[in-house]
Amino acid sequence: MLLSAAAAIEDLVPEGAGLVAVGGMHMHNNPMALVRELIRRRRHVRRLLTSPSASLAADLLIGARLVDEVATAYVGFEHLGLAPAYRRAAESATITVLELCEAAIVHGLYAGAGGLPFVALPPGLELSDVSRANPDHFRVITDPFTGERALVAAPLRPDVALIHALAADENGNVYFSGAHFTDRLMAMAAKKVIVQVERMAEPGERTAYPAESVLPGFLVTAVVVAPGGCKPTASHGAYGYEEASLRAYLKLGRTEEGFAEYLQLNGMAAAQVVA
Amino acid sequence: MSIAVEYSTAELMGAVMARQLRPGEVAIMGAVSALPQAACRLAQLTTAPGLWFIAGGSGAVNPHLDPLVASSCDERLLEADAVMTLPGVILAEGRGDLIDVFFAGGLQIDAYGNCNLGPVGPWTRPTLRGPGGVGLPFVSRAGRVVIYSMSHDRRTFVEQVDFISGPGFVNGRDALPGGGPSLIVTPLCTMDFDRATHRARLATLHPGVTLDQVLAATGFTPIVPARLETTAPPTAEELLILRRMDPGGLLRGGAER
Repeated sequence: MLLSAAAAIEDLVPEGAGLVAVGGMHMHNNPMALVRELIRRRRHVRRLLTSPSASLAADLLIGARLVDEVATAYVGFEHLGLAPAYRRAAESATITVLELCEAAIVHGLYAGAGGLPFVALPPGLELSDVSRANPDHFRVITDPFTGERALVAAPLRPDVALIHALAADENGNVYFSGAHFTDRLMAMAAKKVIVQVERMAEPGERTAYPAESVLPGFLVTAVVVAPGGCKPTASHGAYGYEEASLRAYLKLGRTEEGFAEYLQLNGMAAAQVVA
Repeated sequence: MSIAVEYSTAELMGAVMARQLRPGEVAIMGAVSALPQAACRLAQLTTAPGLWFIAGGSGAVNPHLDPLVASSCDERLLEADAVMTLPGVILAEGRGDLIDVFFAGGLQIDAYGNCNLGPVGPWTRPTLRGPGGVGLPFVSRAGRVVIYSMSHDRRTFVEQVDFISGPGFVNGRDALPGGGPSLIVTPLCTMDFDRATHRARLATLHPGVTLDQVLAATGFTPIVPARLETTAPPTAEELLILRRMDPGGLLRGGAER
């Protein structure tokens, strides 16, 4: 189903959605066209699930006060700095942080994608404080094979996943370019999947993509064509991240007023909805 | 005749980190990892031919770093000998017998090599909310862990971290399935770990750095051995290799090109 970003968010992401997953990794392949639309429409997300390393997409949703709980292993901007809105929300306890690690996210999504009731994590991971900080998500059980203690994590089954890919065909088959991180797994685990793409695919283009770079259309609820839709983050196969723009956000994002100004300047204020 | 060569702190640290690596080993690093990536590439071209390294979230195996880039997920890293999917990298980190060296860091690093990239202060209302540890819990399973930090101050080096993202020798206990932390590399010094107590022990002071300076900048009391060596500065060859891959001077306070 080919939709505009506005229609996809309006029709497929209900107000107060339970678990919304957002793809991309660091300042790469963030589905910004979809995220901007969520913010414009003031759609609240009860729980946001990030990829193993989130960046601008998560920080904007958090800063716009649209997220009650964030399940994440990282929100930041690598060498550019810490995430200003995430910091402000966590340090004032206006958001609940559900600590995860990349293993809990990736293996949890695998469990969600494959119908596994839970996943056991490798020994040693229980030595980190992640599971103690998020006790609802983890349990320590007895390994039925060895009798040893084993840390297990809940499956992750997002209600909606918002991801970015390079191209899609008219049947909703989606192709990834470059590194596609955990996005394909996220899509396979989610009940509804909205994929924003740079462009429609050329006829016959599919054969250039190996199996691991393709998401078949039956796993995709809607495709949104959004050229340049990851900016200012990178879109692998299309463009790099815009460092100056990200730095400008990091500067404005330091205060509530600056954050509001950033939304206004970038067409994300509530009044800037386009039908 | 010897010529004094100018070098940056990051270049010195990169050379020190490179010398930790051995031929045929497999190393891995996470976010903000231009420095350990440069160290691995340098090692491949000098003391550790046949070294493998996985550049974090990109999944790139032996990226050519032509040039070195700042973000661990940059598409240019995929100009590499091989590429893994990110879920594949995470499987490899968990297996326990594949990763010889894990490069780690933290907003807080403690006397037993635990690293914190999460909350500083109370967990539910931190005074500083760090970004999060991503894959740092996996350091518990690596052959050895090389910890690096571009800051050496009392806020970073603490007696005990407020939150364990990457487990070291937790409270001096050796509960790790892997080999645990082996070295800390900072702008001032290197530290290793006492075999019996697992506590950090000063190993070398960088050229021009005094013991008092390190102790004043460290929030825990490291073990101080009777004899302290000076860190060997980068050689002219090491600097030549580092600068060839880093024309923008990422390791010299510059921007990427």
